[in-house]
Amino acid sequence: MTTLLAAAGQVHGPSVEYGSLLPILILAGGAIVTIFVSLIGGRAAQRLLTPITAIVTLVSAGVVFAVRIGEPDISILGGALALDDVSAIFDLLFVSAALCASVLVWRSDTLREAGAGEFFSLLITTVLGMAILVSATNLVTFFLGFELFSIPLYVLCAADLRRNTSLEAGLKYLLIGSLGSAVLLYGLSMIYGATGHTDYASIARAVSLPALRDDPLLLAGVALTLAGLAFKASVAPFHQWTPDVYQGAPTPVAAFMAVATKFAVIAVLLRVGMQALGPAREHWEVMVAMLATVTIFVGNIGALRQESLKRMLAYSGVAQVGYVLAGIVAGTWLGVYAIGFYLFAYLAMNIGPFAVIATRERSGAGDGMRGMRNLGREAPWLAWPMTICMLALAGLPVTAGFVGKLLLMQAAIDGHYAWLAVMIALGSAISLGYYLRVVAAIWMPSAVRDEVFGDGTRSGTSALAGAAPEADAARHPELVALAVTAAAASVLFGFYPRPLLELARILAYAGGQLIF
Amino acid sequence: MNIAWYIGLSAVIFCIGASGLIARRSPLVMLLCLELMLNAANLSLIAFARMHGNADGQIFALVVMVVAACEVVVGLGLIVAMYRNRMPIDIDRISELRDPRD
Repeated sequence: MTTLLAAAGQVHGPSVEYGSLLPILILAGGAIVTIFVSLIGGRAAQRLLTPITAIVTLVSAGVVFAVRIGEPDISILGGALALDDVSAIFDLLFVSAALCASVLVWRSDTLREAGAGEFFSLLITTVLGMAILVSATNLVTFFLGFELFSIPLYVLCAADLRRNTSLEAGLKYLLIGSLGSAVLLYGLSMIYGATGHTDYASIARAVSLPALRDDPLLLAGVALTLAGLAFKASVAPFHQWTPDVYQGAPTPVAAFMAVATKFAVIAVLLRVGMQALGPAREHWEVMVAMLATVTIFVGNIGALRQESLKRMLAYSGVAQVGYVLAGIVAGTWLGVYAIGFYLFAYLAMNIGPFAVIATRERSGAGDGMRGMRNLGREAPWLAWPMTICMLALAGLPVTAGFVGKLLLMQAAIDGHYAWLAVMIALGSAISLGYYLRVVAAIWMPSAVRDEVFGDGTRSGTSALAGAAPEADAARHPELVALAVTAAAASVLFGFYPRPLLELARILAYAGGQLIF
Repeated sequence: MNIAWYIGLSAVIFCIGASGLIARRSPLVMLLCLELMLNAANLSLIAFARMHGNADGQIFALVVMVVAACEVVVGLGLIVAMYRNRMPIDIDRISELRDPRD
C-alpha cells in the first residue's frame, strides 16, 4: 500500500497546451453547440441551422488539420497525444468522410427520425474520437479514443429508430464491437503487464530488450490487441458483423463507417505497430500477413452472391482492407506511401456508390441490385458515377484504384512479401465478378440481361422498383453532385495522381520517422 | 500473495464473460457478460499496476470503468427502443439481416 501511495504522490496533472489542442477543442465544442442549436430553434433550425453548424465545425477543424501538415511534430498533454503529419493527414480523411456523410444525410428521413442535433453531434463526436485515436501515444488515450469513436457509431447505426433492421444493426454492432473492445483492452492490459508502461516510447524501449523477445505475456497481448482491432476494421475472420450492420444501418452512416473506421484502425496499426511494437515486428508481421490473405479471399468471395448492394459493398470493403494491410505488412517507407495514396482513393471510390444507393433508396427502390436496372438509360448522371466507381474499386487502369493497387503490390514485393502481391492480384480478379455484375445491371437492356443471367422469371421491370430514376436524380441534386465528384476524383487521380502522391509522400516521411 | 493468482482469476472471469456472450441469447445478459470481460481486464490492469509499482494501470482502470458505463447505457437504450418496436428480445430471433440463402 505504501508503495502505491508513494506512486500516487508522484502523479502530476500534465500541463494543457490549449493552442495545440485547437482542432480537438473545435470538434468537442462543435458537438455540444450543434445539439444546443437544434434545441433552441424550431423547425427551421432543425432543417437548416443544425447541419450548417455541424458542417462549419467539421470544415474549420479540417482547415486546422490541413494547416498543421508540414509543421514540426509536437507532443502534448504530458506525452498523451502526438500532433504530427500522420495524425494530421488521417484527421483530414476523417473530416472529409464526415462531410460526405453530412451531405448524404442532409435531407434524409434518418435526420427527421433521429433528430438533426443528435445525429450531427454524434457524428462530430465520432470524428473527435478518431482524431484522439490517431494522435494517441499512450495506451490509455488510445483506448479512450477508440471507444469515443465506437460508442457514438453504435447509436448512429440505430438512428432509424422505427425501422427494425436499423435497430438490429445497432444491437449487433454494439455487441460485437464491444466484444472487440473487451478483447483489445485485455490485450492492452497484457502489454502493460509485460512492459510496465503505457506510453508507446517506453513500451518500444522495453520491447526491444532481449528479455522480452519471446515473453508469452507480451505475445498474447499483441495477438489479443490485433484481434480487437481486426473486429473494428472487419478483417476476416472477425468480419461477420459487417454485412449485416452495413445493410441495416442508415446509408449515410454505412458510407461513413465503410471508410472512416477502417482508416482509423489502419492509422492505429501504423502507430502502435510501428512505434510501440516496432521492435517486435517479426512476431506480428506474419500474423498480419495471414489475416490480410484470409481477408482478401473471404471478402471477395462473400461479395459474389449478394443481392443487396450495401452488403456487397460491405464485403468489398472487407477485401479492400485486406489489400491495405499489405502496406502494413511491408512496414517500409513504400508501404506507408501506398497506404496513404490508397486511402484517399478509397474514400472517393466508396462514397460514390453509397451516394447512388442513397438516391435510389429515397425513391423507394431499396438498395438491391434490382434498383440499378436500366439506370444507364434512365438516369445517366447516376449510372456513370456508379460505373466509374465500380471499375475503380475493381482496380481497372486509368482509375485511382489501379494506381493504389499497383503501389500496394509494389510495396509488398519490396517488403519481401511477393506472395501477398499475388494474393492482391488474385483477389482483384475475383472482385471483377461482382463489380461488373453491377455495371451489367446498369447498362444491359433487360432482354439481354435476362438471357445472360437467366433471371427473367423473377425480375420485375424498373417501374416496379420504385419511382423513375431520372426524377429522383433531379430531386436530389446534392447526392448526384457528390456521386459525380467522387467518380471524377476516382478518374482524375488515376490520370494525374501527383497531388495525392504528394500527400502520401508526406505521410510516408512522417510514418518513416515512427519506424525505428 | 502471488500476482499469478490475480492474473489467473482475471483470465477465468474473461473466459466466463466470453463464453456467456457466445452462449446466451438475451441481449441483456450479453451486456452483463461484456461487463465481466471489461472488469476482468480491469482486475489484471490493477494487479499489474501493483506488480510494477506504478499508477498507470490504476488510472487506466478508472478510464475503463467510465467507458464501460457508456457502453451499457447505449446498450440498454437500444434494448428499450427494440422493446418499443415490439421486436423479440432474443438474439436468435433477431435475424432479418443475413446473407441470401440458396
